[in-house]
Amino acid sequence: MPIADHKKCTGCHICEIICSVQHHKIMNPKLAMVKVNSNWPWEDKVTICRQCRKPKCVEACEYDAIERVDGYLRINQDKCTACMECVKACPFDGVVVSEITQKPILCDTCEGEYLCVNWCPTKVFAKM
Amino acid sequence: MSNNKYFGYAGKILTVDLSSSDYVVEDTPFDLIVNFMGGKGFGAKILYDGLKPGCDPLSPDNIMVMATGPLTGTLMPASGHITLSTKSPLTGIWRDSHCGGFFGPELKMAGYDAIIIKGKAKKPTVLVVKDSKISFEDGRDLWGKLTFDTQELLRKKHGENCQFMCIGPAGERKARFANIVSGGRGFGRGGSGAVMGSKNLKAIVVKGTKSLNIHDLDGFMRMCREAYNELTVSPDTGGGRPKYGTNSIYSFMIEAGAHPVKNFQTGVFAAVKECNEDVLDKKYYKRHIACFSCPINCSKASRVDDGKYKGKFTEGPEYENMWSLGAQCGNSNIGSIIYGQHLCDEYGLDAISAGNVIGFTMECFERGILSEKQIGFPTNFGNDDAIIKFIEMMAKGKGVGELMSQGVRQMSKELGKSTEKFAMHVKGMELPAYDPRGAFGMGLAYATSDRGACHLRAWTLGAEILDVQDRMDPFATEFKAELVKNQQDFYAVIQSAVVCLFLNFGLTQRQITRCIQALTGIKEWKTTEDILKIGERIYNLTRLFSMREGISRKDDTLPERLLKEPVNEGPTKGVVVDLDTMLKEYYLVRHWDKEGRPTKEKLAGLGLEKYAV
Repeated sequence: MPIADHKKCTGCHICEIICSVQHHKIMNPKLAMVKVNSNWPWEDKVTICRQCRKPKCVEACEYDAIERVDGYLRINQDKCTACMECVKACPFDGVVVSEITQKPILCDTCEGEYLCVNWCPTKVFAKM
Repeated sequence: MSNNKYFGYAGKILTVDLSSSDYVVEDTPFDLIVNFMGGKGFGAKILYDGLKPGCDPLSPDNIMVMATGPLTGTLMPASGHITLSTKSPLTGIWRDSHCGGFFGPELKMAGYDAIIIKGKAKKPTVLVVKDSKISFEDGRDLWGKLTFDTQELLRKKHGENCQFMCIGPAGERKARFANIVSGGRGFGRGGSGAVMGSKNLKAIVVKGTKSLNIHDLDGFMRMCREAYNELTVSPDTGGGRPKYGTNSIYSFMIEAGAHPVKNFQTGVFAAVKECNEDVLDKKYYKRHIACFSCPINCSKASRVDDGKYKGKFTEGPEYENMWSLGAQCGNSNIGSIIYGQHLCDEYGLDAISAGNVIGFTMECFERGILSEKQIGFPTNFGNDDAIIKFIEMMAKGKGVGELMSQGVRQMSKELGKSTEKFAMHVKGMELPAYDPRGAFGMGLAYATSDRGACHLRAWTLGAEILDVQDRMDPFATEFKAELVKNQQDFYAVIQSAVVCLFLNFGLTQRQITRCIQALTGIKEWKTTEDILKIGERIYNLTRLFSMREGISRKDDTLPERLLKEPVNEGPTKGVVVDLDTMLKEYYLVRHWDKEGRPTKEKLAGLGLEKYAV
């Protein structure tokens, strides 16, 4: 699971771009499962799911929308009602809310390859 | 998901008429794409065809073209840029400028390659573009507000995920070198902020959710990966620039005598020990900031921790402003430079022109042309309090600030007394931070730049000063014409693609061409020659634009100080620029006649025959 050192983040959003390319074969950072939030000029902060072993988001979800698929947590978008309880429950601020669907989404780790981690020019992430 | 016809393009152009609060959305024409690519190219074509010769830049007749290019907003490194072209109220000729950050990518995600703005709103207005929803909002409550406050208020209203650009009080009162600010960056040079102010347009909000298609996905990803790797290992884009920002060249320029001091009176900066990139890095830089998709992160957030400017901060200061508010004014107080740059951004003034004019005013004061009574306070070189006061006076149009805010050309015209000899401008645009007496190529670059004295149309310092292996003689005229011409053409491509010029310092022209090819698949753009021809076409068209406004060989010159008045100390002692030799060769290389007019044959070769004059 990737641990982000926010101090190293420069806010380039490359993680978001490569995420959309990898998963959708098109370029659209708004589709990414990782998100950079800017507080200009002092901070850029990455939101990314750590794929916890005992996830608080699963406990918080009343609709059983967060499932494990092939070992990875995923939000079933059909079951999700966008109540945002998972977003509040995550102790690591790791749940991204899609700007397009307004629903929460979780990083699927690119089957453990984490392209965002590999492409990050300032090495914000450490794989644990 | 995606509505675009062409790979790499959003596929639509939004044309807004502020006079009638109306708009149209049209397909981006393929012949515009294939001949002019995007960004600056779109601007050149649209403005040449759309503007009447001699039109007042501050009248509703002027047009603003904000355009992205195929590479903007993609995985391509440093693709966060956008170009703004309009007729300049500072120079009266062609101008385009380029803003980093996030506005360009967001505009493309909203589905537009470009926004064309015409007319004049009846009252202060905010243009809001959210995907296909376009609206005109009342901007009266924002009028008079500083740029950062304006953006904060807009963010509160429209949400975190929007991008903004706006003008400050300087643009509202049409100061001739007012800029437009987006985030912490801006469209700097040539007074685009005044044009926006003259249209009563306070701000633009954009938000997009659409996607871009890629022609050869695997190839493009591989090339971008290679590009990232090369930028990371280049000593410039992977070493000096990420660490020091654009100030990575500061000491090199000082050593070469190419960093002008006290309004170009000398090339020796005595205070360099307390004012250089190492001091900045150790004492002021707090973190690195990048534009969209950029691994270079040349931008820095700086804060002053002690002294009389304690607590002041800025995104920067970058090399140009370290000079304009620093050595140009004989000032080595970095705190005042940081605060001065922040003020320029807040009020919406181009900090290069602002600093240049302040240095000129200081020289006028020291020569007794302007008195303490006229100005209101003493303004010797090195007076940091005066610099701060001048910025506010120019922004608000108070006292001598009103005259200063019209630019150094107009100011020297009104003052007379041979001040034109040291009014440091070309075609009305104030000189930036390189002294051509320390690098002749920059003399030719300034004299022939299409928007007046500018370092971003050709930047010869790499070849003349920084290159370790095969450095050109900076004081020779040979080969400078070819160098400048090639750079001007390729930079026009970069500014139409639209990506950051700093890619030049880590990637080759061939590499960038291959990236464009993989992304767009446009078959007319196979080789570097194809791409350079687009650049040459654009550069010739902007020349024709300015010729239509009265520009000719007589204007392709430098301030008298650089041609006749040598510096009497340091590495450039005794040197003046031999411009004539380089200029003659330049016209030959460009296939322009002796008067600097593109020949019919040249224009025909570029497909511009109908523009022949």
